[in-house]
Amino acid sequence: MAKYLIKRILYGIFSLVVVVAIVMILIYSMLNRDLVFAGDPNFVKQAGNQKEAYMYNKWEQYGYMDYVPYADYLKDLCKAGQIDEETRSKAASIGRKEDKDSDLTKEYVAKFKEYYTSKGYTIIRLDAKMAGKKVANGGQQQLFAYRDVPLSQRIWKYFTGLLSFDNIHKVENITGERGITFTWYDPAYGGHRLAPAIIGNGTYHKYLLYVDDRFPFVHQHFVSLNLGTSYTVNQGVDVFTTMNATQGSYVKSLVTYPTGHTEMTADDLHTATYLEGSLKASLVYADRFTDDYTNVITKKNGLSKIGYSFVIGIIEVILAYLIGLPIGVWMSRRKDKLADKIGTCYIVFVIAVPSIAYIFMIKAIGGKLGLPTTFDMESASKLMYMLPIISLALPSIGGLMKWMRRYMIDQMNSDYVKFARSGGLSEGEIFFKHIMKNAAIPIIHGIPGAVLFAMVGAIVTERVYVVPGAGNLLTIAINKYDNGVIVGVTLFYATLSVVSLILGDVLMAIFDPRISFTTKDR
Amino acid sequence: MADQVTKKQEEKNRQNEIFAEFKEEELFARVPLDSMSAEKITAPRYSYWQSVFRVFFHKKINIIILAILAIVVLMAYVYPVVVHYDPFLNLLNSEAKHLGPKAAMELFGKSIHYILGTGGSGESTFDAIWYGSRISISLAFICALINMVIGVLIGAVWGFSKKVDMIMTQVYNIIGNLPSILLIAVLVMLIGAGFWSMVFALTITGWLSVAYFIRTQVVIIRDREYNLASKCLGTSTIKIALRNILPFMTSVIVTLAATEIPSYISMEVFLAYIGLGLSDKSLGVIISEAQSAMVTPGWELEFWSPVAITAIIAVVLYVAGQNLGDASDPRTHV
Repeated sequence: MAKYLIKRILYGIFSLVVVVAIVMILIYSMLNRDLVFAGDPNFVKQAGNQKEAYMYNKWEQYGYMDYVPYADYLKDLCKAGQIDEETRSKAASIGRKEDKDSDLTKEYVAKFKEYYTSKGYTIIRLDAKMAGKKVANGGQQQLFAYRDVPLSQRIWKYFTGLLSFDNIHKVENITGERGITFTWYDPAYGGHRLAPAIIGNGTYHKYLLYVDDRFPFVHQHFVSLNLGTSYTVNQGVDVFTTMNATQGSYVKSLVTYPTGHTEMTADDLHTATYLEGSLKASLVYADRFTDDYTNVITKKNGLSKIGYSFVIGIIEVILAYLIGLPIGVWMSRRKDKLADKIGTCYIVFVIAVPSIAYIFMIKAIGGKLGLPTTFDMESASKLMYMLPIISLALPSIGGLMKWMRRYMIDQMNSDYVKFARSGGLSEGEIFFKHIMKNAAIPIIHGIPGAVLFAMVGAIVTERVYVVPGAGNLLTIAINKYDNGVIVGVTLFYATLSVVSLILGDVLMAIFDPRISFTTKDR
Repeated sequence: MADQVTKKQEEKNRQNEIFAEFKEEELFARVPLDSMSAEKITAPRYSYWQSVFRVFFHKKINIIILAILAIVVLMAYVYPVVVHYDPFLNLLNSEAKHLGPKAAMELFGKSIHYILGTGGSGESTFDAIWYGSRISISLAFICALINMVIGVLIGAVWGFSKKVDMIMTQVYNIIGNLPSILLIAVLVMLIGAGFWSMVFALTITGWLSVAYFIRTQVVIIRDREYNLASKCLGTSTIKIALRNILPFMTSVIVTLAATEIPSYISMEVFLAYIGLGLSDKSLGVIISEAQSAMVTPGWELEFWSPVAITAIIAVVLYVAGQNLGDASDPRTHV
């Protein structure tokens, strides 16, 4: 069993890698990359050479290419100590045309070209665009190198960066000594409440371990998951964080900042991450923080995207199984009688009619009955969950009814049933003790998938009822060309489906002793 | 009764009279021994498709369903040919927009075009629906046809060959994990949202699930005793596939096709709703454009009539297909 499972998991991981590779080929190589500017309000404001440079800069941010302006190259040299600040600023000023460069600039431009050409980059130099004697708007001369990120490197980088382990050498320019301290009294709570915490200095997250009042109460930042950084959907934030961050309006509580300043605020100090130079940049921070760990997430009263989707989804799944399975069993007992026929009509309706049609129908009927038809995070009423749950449950009930009835009827014609009958067992006994147990096996296989995919959310239902769930993340990302989110969400979905298939098989094997994965036979 | 007996007697007498004129040699001829015909088993004539339709039409509901289907198909394919429909005819007429049937009839006079009122650009809702139905039904039929043909062919090979099975199962696991919306979105962005590019986008991976389904069915039947016996008797694999297995699969294939077609009608509506629809005014596009009309008093017809037609088309096609699938199972022919 264990050997088989390991094999399955390895196969699963392999298929995940291939899925990510295919998605990367699709979005990075096949799509026209000019499309990213379609909805960009800043793009039309640019002109001339600046527009060109802006495009390359954006493409780098969207993950299409590596882009190095000449000035950045010089800055890196300066940082590495190869040149001093004075040479840097002198060498950085390139001429309007190549032959107008000063000797020093020429030397460094040649070095820049040589260095990046050897690494496979393409060097682009744009001469200044002139309007009369002056440089035209946006027509400043440009010099940069770019390279499309090769697929293999992209995949390697993505999967190696998937899990990041925080350590005390994570960030540069730290004030104070690098290290990890453990305290029983978390300073964020004022320092006199018993709340163990591990605080790092030099790490990316300030709090590596802490407790609070939110599920699952103990949180860690030692290992974090980076599914892909968003660019347009939720700028600079990882997809996984986007899906898990709370939404709604701020929840304020009394917080003691590192300087001792206390304030009613929504800032969650436990989420503080390092942001270089931020302490100096803002007076607000100077009042509150003592180091550069200033980047905090705010506490909000709503659930996360996944949270809303999961609450709706899990209730729907439970309802569907509680209602669909008994009706399916009942239909099979009353085969070809009125109950069966009514049930079949319902199944046909649910399967054939486009989901949008009946979701709108439910919305219209629900609205007439006075149920809230749009989701409002601020509202305390739980009634707003009703219509989305009903809209999702009705088709699932239909599907479960159909399969349960089918499996039951298939089992009813088996030899073991005839044998049991000839052995004198009562019909009820045969039905509930024997047929149902066997018919339930394929149904059980689907349970892990149903539960896990409750997290994913439903596209149409969430749109119709304006639920702030995770279902629309992929479509929004596609519309906004947010490549990082597309890859991240795809990996998330694919992982769920691989895991749910494996779990389904395991559950089936536990439930049915006849199924064994140790011997391979067909 | 007595009549019949006398009739038979008369017949016999007449025959005897005719035979009496001939000699024995003239009456009988020696026939060479035909070993082939000795092998033949006489059975009542059984025509498969005749029986399928006999069983199918035996159910009264099927006749009703077929009648509705005929009306829908006729309206979708003949009506647009006969009637000219210009969606932008009343575009500049500000009074013509979002009218109920009554108001539209008052404005334009009594005509069949306005029995469902007018839409957002003053177009006749009734005409728009049938023009849209033609596009949606065509899309669904073509996609289902392509998927079924490719899916059945590949599925058969997939089920038969263990080597192909290993590779294809991996391919299926991988492609199955690709979000289809993403694939369709990328393809639509690449090749546009025209009719044929949508067909391409929907079928490029759509056949895979059909093939997987067929593969499972083939695997189930492949190793049955009668095929083993056939193989032992030296039947070629192709003959086993075509003669032994394909007939067994007919009902499965018909049932599958019956779910494929409505599923593509729903799919089209769904894609249009999330903004990946066709560039033509198909039913899905009409529905997603008329969404706001659903909640606006007096405009509801604009939204509900395309929804109702979509639902009717999908249900009718599904039920007709399911029942045809049932009828094409030889076990129901007895």
